[in-house]
Amino acid sequence: MEALLQQLLNGLTLGSIYGLVALGLTLVYGILHVPNFAHGALYMVGAYVAYYVAGELGASYWLAMIAAAVIVAGLAVACERLVFHPLRNAPPIHDKIAAIGLLLFFEAVVQMYWGADFRRLEAPSNTIFHFAGLTLPAQRMLIIVAAFSLMGGLHLYLKKTLAGSTIIAMAQNREGAFLVGINANRVAMMTFAISGALAAVASTLFAPINLVYPAMGHLVLLKAFVIIILGGMGSIPGAIVGGLIIGFAEALGGFYISGDYKDVIAFALLVAILSIKPTGLFSQGVR
Amino acid sequence: MSGIQRIKRWAGLGIATGALVAAGMSPAMAAEVNIGFTGPLSGGAALYGQNALEGLKMAAAEINAGGGIKVDGKAYDINLVSLDDQYAPSRAAVNGKRLVQQYNAPAVFTPHSGGTFALQAFNERDRFLVMSYTSIPEVTSKGNKLTVKIPPNFTDYVAPFAKLTMERFGPKLAIANATHDYAKYWTKAFVPAWKKAGGEIVADNPMDYNKSADFYTGVSKVLAADPDVLFIGGASEPTGLVVRQARELGFEGGFVIMDQAKVSEVARVAGGMAALEGAVGVAPLSHLDTPGAKSFIKLYAKDHDNVPTAETAYNYFAMFLLARAMESAGTVTDVADIRAAIPQALKQVDTTHNPFAVTSMTDDGNLAIDVRIAEVTDGKVDILQRSDMDLD
Repeated sequence: MEALLQQLLNGLTLGSIYGLVALGLTLVYGILHVPNFAHGALYMVGAYVAYYVAGELGASYWLAMIAAAVIVAGLAVACERLVFHPLRNAPPIHDKIAAIGLLLFFEAVVQMYWGADFRRLEAPSNTIFHFAGLTLPAQRMLIIVAAFSLMGGLHLYLKKTLAGSTIIAMAQNREGAFLVGINANRVAMMTFAISGALAAVASTLFAPINLVYPAMGHLVLLKAFVIIILGGMGSIPGAIVGGLIIGFAEALGGFYISGDYKDVIAFALLVAILSIKPTGLFSQGVR
Repeated sequence: MSGIQRIKRWAGLGIATGALVAAGMSPAMAAEVNIGFTGPLSGGAALYGQNALEGLKMAAAEINAGGGIKVDGKAYDINLVSLDDQYAPSRAAVNGKRLVQQYNAPAVFTPHSGGTFALQAFNERDRFLVMSYTSIPEVTSKGNKLTVKIPPNFTDYVAPFAKLTMERFGPKLAIANATHDYAKYWTKAFVPAWKKAGGEIVADNPMDYNKSADFYTGVSKVLAADPDVLFIGGASEPTGLVVRQARELGFEGGFVIMDQAKVSEVARVAGGMAALEGAVGVAPLSHLDTPGAKSFIKLYAKDHDNVPTAETAYNYFAMFLLARAMESAGTVTDVADIRAAIPQALKQVDTTHNPFAVTSMTDDGNLAIDVRIAEVTDGKVDILQRSDMDLD
């Protein structure tokens, strides 16, 4: 029983991070209509910005997180303006190539500046909570709480504000959105900014229990792709539920079956769900 | 159409530039010898590859500053040509071919076993020396005539590691090391040694150190079997995370750390030496008392702000060894003569260029030393010599 609860906690931690990254990816999918491969690089840059601000400038963890979110949001907007916007009338494959190019570019720049070393971002608190035989370090607790608050906040923003509903309108029907006078440029920039900020916060949350290095984005990006396919491309609840499914599958599968098979389990689940619902769990686009 | 024309123009420019570069390279710099390197310079293992390359670069710069390699009254500068293989044996093989055919390199350094085996498939036919930084015995025991293996066999560490940790903590071992080939070699050697010493394996759950987002699940799985000792290791920093998470989850036993991970770097991530109490691993360079290690650390500190690793130091030494062997053999091209001159060259490498005090080589090309083991006791690293230990 204890073991099960411990694994559920682990799954929740992982699922929260995956969900945050997948959320950004799925939002941008609504604009680009192709997966944004550069999202993993934004995640990685977010961790480096936080590392730089907290580790090298000596600021607090929270300030580092805000700085990472702001800078990466700006970077994402710059990507949109300088790369994806000029490509808006090109075939989708150009967006894909551009996104991969951005991924390689960011990685190379970070590696040039910081080198390939593994770095550590210190957690704001190293307290470890023990209760009923369970172990939960404060940072993991923070991940869960912060991720779900952000998801809730995003949901409210998209549902309750005018700016938020323009994003949904764009994702659902581009021409329709133009007809009612929505400024596509503004929505695109806003979406990229949100997705960048989410990626940066996710990496800043996760970095203290992991490591910071130039290739850190690959792994999470791969998981996020699986998640948005699982949840339905462009679906926000799909990204959250998909993230949790993959997180739990990894934790429980890794514990009860075998660590060797934990990715196999996640992908088998993907195959099973897609064979029943080929468009993913929540497939009607952004809701 | 204009797009295609543009591409053609660019292609033409590319060919012209290539021709210029080729023309500039061949005749003007005749007194130069190209030495090849293929290793991971990008991707997850980039740091390791760059550390290895750094040692070669430092040595090459020092040799060139001292007038180069002197053969028959003629001096050759070393031109180090490094290619990225991202740790993939197939790319190492392609790089090896390129280094030999395009650059005529008489020797190719590689810091991984997969790359070494890939190069050994054709190095005797294509006539180049494989300078392998890997500690798998098979690299030399298979009888390749043009291979030099730089570090000692990892199997030298197995019995001392098992003895130290079992005596201190107990006979129950859980396996939680990485899943790559090298880790599997280690497991294959370590498990029999542990059993032979009277221990048992209570859990076996290797984890992909480079592709796991989190180790909590894997570590809690092995801890559920209540082990006395954890057998861990992959790259240093992920290994540190494994140690850290094992301690968070309440593990109080010892660690056997595979030689790929360096104790001091593991400690940095794990939360200090205290977290590593009872760990055994390979002695870090900074704890060696040879004159070579001291002078190398000093030299390294001149233009680096971190601590040098063993792979940097070993490759630094190996480049000097190769240079001296070329001088002894009186050739920079005849690889069989260069290989034959290495035992002689070992005596000519200055002690300040030999951090690990390597003095001999076996006939099949293994540079053997009496290995040193690091044990963490009371938060401090103790260094033990294998020859001083009572092993049967």
